[in-house]
Amino acid sequence: MSEQNDYIIEFRNITKKFPGVIANNDISLGIRQGEIFALLGENGAGKSTLMSILFGMYEPDQGEIYLRGEKVKIKSPNQAAELSIGMVHQHFMLVENFTITENIVLGLEPEKKVFGFPVVDIKGTDQKIKDLSHKYGLDVNPTDLIEDINVSTRQRVEILKMLYREAEILIFDEPTAMLTPQEIEFLLNIIKNLQADGKTIILISHKLYEIKQVADRCAILRHGELIDILDVKTTSTQEMANLMVGKQLSLSLDKSESKPGDPVLEVENLTLDNELGVEIVHNVSFKIHAGEIFSLAGVSGNGQMEIADAIAGLINVKSGKISLNQKEITHATVKERIESGISYIPEDRQRFGLILEMPLAVNLALKSYYKEPFSQKHILQENVFLEYSDNLIKQFDIRSGQGSTTIVRSMSGGNQQKAIVAREIDLDSDLLIFVQPTRGLDIGAIQAVRKRMIDERDRGKAILLVSLELDEIMSCSDRIGVIYNGRIQTVAKADQITREEIGEAMMGVGNHGK
Amino acid sequence: MENNLKTKNPLLRLLGGTKYQFISIPIFAIICSLIVSAIIILIVGQNPLMAYKGLLQGAGVLSKNQYAAYQGQITDFMETLDKMTPMLFASLAVAIAMQAGLFNIGVSGQMLISGFIATIVIGYSREMSPILAKPLVAVIGVIVGALAGGLIGFLKIKFNINEVVSSIMLNYIFQYVISFFINTKYVDPVTRQSRNIGANARLTLMQVEIADFKMRIPIFFIVAILIAIVMYFFMKRTDHGLEISAIGFNRDAARYAGINVKRRTLYVMLISGGLAGLAGVTYYLGYQPSILPKSLSSIGFDSIAVSLLGSNNPLGIIFSSFLITVIDRGATYMRSAAGVEQEIAALMSGIILLFSAMGTYMKQKFSDLLIRNRRR
Repeated sequence: MSEQNDYIIEFRNITKKFPGVIANNDISLGIRQGEIFALLGENGAGKSTLMSILFGMYEPDQGEIYLRGEKVKIKSPNQAAELSIGMVHQHFMLVENFTITENIVLGLEPEKKVFGFPVVDIKGTDQKIKDLSHKYGLDVNPTDLIEDINVSTRQRVEILKMLYREAEILIFDEPTAMLTPQEIEFLLNIIKNLQADGKTIILISHKLYEIKQVADRCAILRHGELIDILDVKTTSTQEMANLMVGKQLSLSLDKSESKPGDPVLEVENLTLDNELGVEIVHNVSFKIHAGEIFSLAGVSGNGQMEIADAIAGLINVKSGKISLNQKEITHATVKERIESGISYIPEDRQRFGLILEMPLAVNLALKSYYKEPFSQKHILQENVFLEYSDNLIKQFDIRSGQGSTTIVRSMSGGNQQKAIVAREIDLDSDLLIFVQPTRGLDIGAIQAVRKRMIDERDRGKAILLVSLELDEIMSCSDRIGVIYNGRIQTVAKADQITREEIGEAMMGVGNHGK
Repeated sequence: MENNLKTKNPLLRLLGGTKYQFISIPIFAIICSLIVSAIIILIVGQNPLMAYKGLLQGAGVLSKNQYAAYQGQITDFMETLDKMTPMLFASLAVAIAMQAGLFNIGVSGQMLISGFIATIVIGYSREMSPILAKPLVAVIGVIVGALAGGLIGFLKIKFNINEVVSSIMLNYIFQYVISFFINTKYVDPVTRQSRNIGANARLTLMQVEIADFKMRIPIFFIVAILIAIVMYFFMKRTDHGLEISAIGFNRDAARYAGINVKRRTLYVMLISGGLAGLAGVTYYLGYQPSILPKSLSSIGFDSIAVSLLGSNNPLGIIFSSFLITVIDRGATYMRSAAGVEQEIAALMSGIILLFSAMGTYMKQKFSDLLIRNRRR
């Protein structure tokens, strides 16, 4: 079928199965030398599996990979690197207390001889790294420690790592998930520079506008199947979105005007320390009313997560006051807060939100297991758990291998999140805290979560939304507070502030309001 | 030929399926160790089957060819149960802490201090009625053990001292402080151990004559079994049990869910220490009547592996502690019957414990194998 062609990578009939799931089903696609090729698909569509196969982390059950026309079997990431394939993972793999140069050369340390003994030549490499970073506009200071640099610079280090290894094929796994709008622009430019230098780029993403902006071609995967390969220039984002989820999907949310009632949450002069005892939130005050979504916008690490944790009782308050329904809860225990009406969907769903080793039924009752009817005289009523859990599974469309008895670890990220959302909403609390509620979810699940959030608002709940994604903030909030460096820079009604103004306040520039 | 999603290999299904692993993996570990030990015994030039038979005979599981007067298989068997009792308590102590993600390596120390306190408070009051003395010994054992375990829990929640560090340190402190008191006040000049306690306080009835046989009766054996069963239900079916395993799996998530992690940590260490205390009194005031100064009982350490071998499951631990005790107790007879050095038995326990410590790895490996096998 495939005659001699200009594909640098060609997947032929790749099939990869996991227990109960076909991650990739008979996928054949070719990627041309020097193009930016996007892989688009919902979570669990099989994008990451396909790339993991290319990067040597999985072996396919069936099918072959051809690299520059030759059949290859890639058995390990090291082998992939030798074949000049590089990957920037979603979660960076850097050694915190090493310098940038040290991280880049790790595993391929340049040697020099001192008195005949081999030592690592870091100094000499610094300049090489500097030149390399200049070449692609990736400005970094090679002698900085990783722990001192921000997320976007860390990402540049990851890119440099690949370039240092002379990778020709660069895989980016969801590279913009953690970046601000300005940083995303910057990254997309770098990607274009890399292309101009002749590199082949594979971009895994579910952000349509990024793909639209940089990619040449785009493959759409759904449930492990290759749906289509599109020319990005001639396809609209709406079309791509429809193909991706397989049904007509409205990208906008139906959201009526909010009808705020009495204040539910009042935060006054809240000051917090982080784990190291450094003051990270200074004198923050805000109120959230019933029937309103108040969001905290900001770049990661500016104190917004700590504020959410402090309201939920997970970290101690240094000074200030938190009240729920006019009752002070500043020093209440976590349990008291849950019982007085706070639901919390935490940022790190696997570390905080769930006990991965336990079955879904227990996780869905994780905040009510001790109450009647779940527990009678301290004895757990198994059938009550199962009944309750079956009900929530149906209501929230949580999908898993064995229903209520599924061990949560085996569920997909999206369904884990749905489980947390289901549990927290079903607590029927007056205040719901959503932190990064749609991180890592696919469009279908994102829409479902946001819709739930708005439904809860319409039922008169007060909602605090903490998100790093401006799109989410813009499309869901009634009021927006922008946080920078532990201070709320500005608070405005959602329709009275622009994306750009928020972006600037997030970076600490400009002075909106006071 | 292909695309057969079900593997035909029933053995792999048993070992790889998460459903049966809690039982199949320990059994696999035991079989592996028996094979490895057999090879070692062959190398030494003896017959492994004879050696194994000797072990079982020595522990009273199989009948010996001949017995002395008043002795029989039951005599040996009861002595095995007598030694198993502290092992079972100690392993349960380790297991409940392990369930909460705590590593109580201080069981030996907790055993020693409760045994010592019970010895000096009750053990030497020879005029006390046995009906009163024996329960008091147990109560003191539980209380002292719980306090010692609780101290470790307290240090952890108050000052964030890792329980492994504090329990190892306390092991030393208990060991040497108690040695000092034994050597200065309670020593028997002949045996160089603490003076024997009175029969009234001893938790093992000695030389009981039943149907022409004289045997030991470990009064607390049944209690240990009952506690294992209760603990099984406690962990599986109660809200407190759920909280403990939640903390064990993920402390952060437990705290997020409103569980008072600190209070539960203390609570678990109190229970664990209490069980270690029972192990202490059934050992120092049961299996033996005295305390050897400057030494810790190996039971406290072996119990960690016994608990692992039993998958930290109280019911599994009943069997694993029995197995390890049988090997331990059968060793002497194995030497005389099969000519295999006694140390081989210790080696066998070591190999079993080594294989059981590899259990987690094996679980993962077999699951992966099963998955790969299914895909083929």
